[in-house]
Amino acid sequence: MSAHAAAAQPAAITLRGVTKRYGGHVALKPIELEIAEGEFFCLLGPSGCGKTTTLNLIGGFIAPTAGEIFIRDERVDRLPPHRRSVNTVFQSYALFPHMTVRDNVGFGLKMARIPSSESAGRIEEALGLVGLETFGERLPTQLSGGQQQRVAVARALVNRPAVLLLDEPLGALDLKLRKRLQVELTQIHRDVGTTFVYVTHDQEEAMSMSTRMAVLNDGRIEQIGTPSEIYYKPNSRFVADFIGESNFLEVETGSQSGVVRLADGRGVPCNSSATGRATLMVRPEAIHVSDPHDAPESSLKGKIVQTSFLGSQTRIAVSCDGVSLPLTASQFGRERLAARELTPDREVSLWWDADDAVLLAKESMEEEVE
Amino acid sequence: MPRELEVVSPRAGLMRFALSSWAALVYLFLFVPIGLLVAFSFNSNKYGTFPFTGWTTKWYGQVFGDYQIKDALTTTLRVALFVTIISTIVGTAAAFPLVRSKLRFRSAVRVGMTLPIMIPGLLIGVSLLVFLTNVFHLQLSVWTAIVGQSVYTTPFVLLIVAARLQGFDQSLERAASDLGANTFNRLRYVVLPLIAPAVFAGALFAFTLSLDEFIITLFLIGGSNTLPLYIYTQVKFGITPEVNALATLLLGASVLLIALAFLLPTAVRRARLALRTR
Repeated sequence: MSAHAAAAQPAAITLRGVTKRYGGHVALKPIELEIAEGEFFCLLGPSGCGKTTTLNLIGGFIAPTAGEIFIRDERVDRLPPHRRSVNTVFQSYALFPHMTVRDNVGFGLKMARIPSSESAGRIEEALGLVGLETFGERLPTQLSGGQQQRVAVARALVNRPAVLLLDEPLGALDLKLRKRLQVELTQIHRDVGTTFVYVTHDQEEAMSMSTRMAVLNDGRIEQIGTPSEIYYKPNSRFVADFIGESNFLEVETGSQSGVVRLADGRGVPCNSSATGRATLMVRPEAIHVSDPHDAPESSLKGKIVQTSFLGSQTRIAVSCDGVSLPLTASQFGRERLAARELTPDREVSLWWDADDAVLLAKESMEEEVE
Repeated sequence: MPRELEVVSPRAGLMRFALSSWAALVYLFLFVPIGLLVAFSFNSNKYGTFPFTGWTTKWYGQVFGDYQIKDALTTTLRVALFVTIISTIVGTAAAFPLVRSKLRFRSAVRVGMTLPIMIPGLLIGVSLLVFLTNVFHLQLSVWTAIVGQSVYTTPFVLLIVAARLQGFDQSLERAASDLGANTFNRLRYVVLPLIAPAVFAGALFAFTLSLDEFIITLFLIGGSNTLPLYIYTQVKFGITPEVNALATLLLGASVLLIALAFLLPTAVRRARLALRTR
């Protein structure tokens, strides 16, 4: 049903060839991005990757050097922020310190000259949405960090924007509160159905909240997809490395189906159609660990160098012949070898299902090195 | 800390006593003349000096009865009012580019803008006198005095407002803009309310400075008299008790205004907070 709606409606946000340069420094290489109505879209990447620049371009706080920005098919890249139907939750919240919570939330309505008979109800509704009905007369300084954050969300949403922009809104909060507000924000997103564009450098936050996400690196979008697409089918070594944990193996793909070969000719499981040199990526939890004589033919032999018991899982690092770095495998307690038997120096075999391995084209790796 | 030093050197205590005494003497030198002036203004001795012959308030009565003083007071307040208005508007407006724009040679511009504080009043007075009378052929009046005083008081407003603006979180303006406020509304609802305490303090400062400004006024006011000028012309013929009373009143007004400038913003904030939390 939502797919139908998406097809009929214009995209909430469209970026076409949007570029931002500061003098000689390229903050954002030409990017193409389309965000559908109702998405919870995360822009994820390390600091300096261009994610906040992208958000500021949509919000109108900076102008693009080139390219076009559309909000619901209306071209906005030359409009000032107050003429765009987007609202922002700032990292610092930027609540007006001289106004009460109610006046803060009502500010946008006042600017839009909404009659007070209507705005009073909308303010209460917005405060109710974030659970702050009884805090209307407080000043921002009388609120905790988490409450201030909620006020910032209410102040933005009360204007019923086409898109809500959130710039690392939970960055200043401690871990526990952040987790709780992540749940609250996804709840609010479901309740109001507004398109959210959320900037974060925290991959876990992006994975847990977003319906789709873009991974940015060095002013460029590396990959766009759902969290599971990004996790299971990363298209570059950067994405695989940035999201979750990964093991990388340099391999040669060949004619034999279901197997690729390491430099010394040993085969490891992998489905591939292409031929040539590539990097194989496999997640720690996809790796099976067993006694060498129980292992299938295409497996890696190695020696355990370290075992870490982490409660829900046991992580082991295995040094394999012909592989430069030890491979990491996660065991969740139901595998062929009991966790307590995984002592250092023990000989084990590692293998994985061919479908769990991802081949990354060679050039993406070279770019990473450069 | 000082006690610990005494353990090391037995003379440290003596030294500390000597320094404290010296500081006390300097302090006395600053405030005894003012204290005496106030005391003399209540002394019935008609020469306005020692000895104390009795308590009286009649000099104050004479001050309020004297039409010349009333005249000078009216002029002083009128000048101060206009000087305050001009320097508050100009100083506040000038603070914005000084703090925010990407000026080249910003510190040079700042020095230039605040120079009137440092250059002698004599120079401001004489140069404006030449400029206004010889170049513009203006008649000297309270208006020329207002212009001259504003040159001197505006930098004070500028510095006070600029200090406040320096610490202003500009993300608040971005937020206001994001919520639909245009430039005018950002200024009206966000920026001005937040820098109002500084603007107000600056205005009170300008008013106080104008009240007792002497040199520039002397050069530029022509035939009128402000209170400081009136007092000066009086003391030329010897100190009178009325002058003591008048100076005391002026002192009281200045102290009150300066205290207001410092205390009112905090008091207003507290009161507002108390109202909100009630």
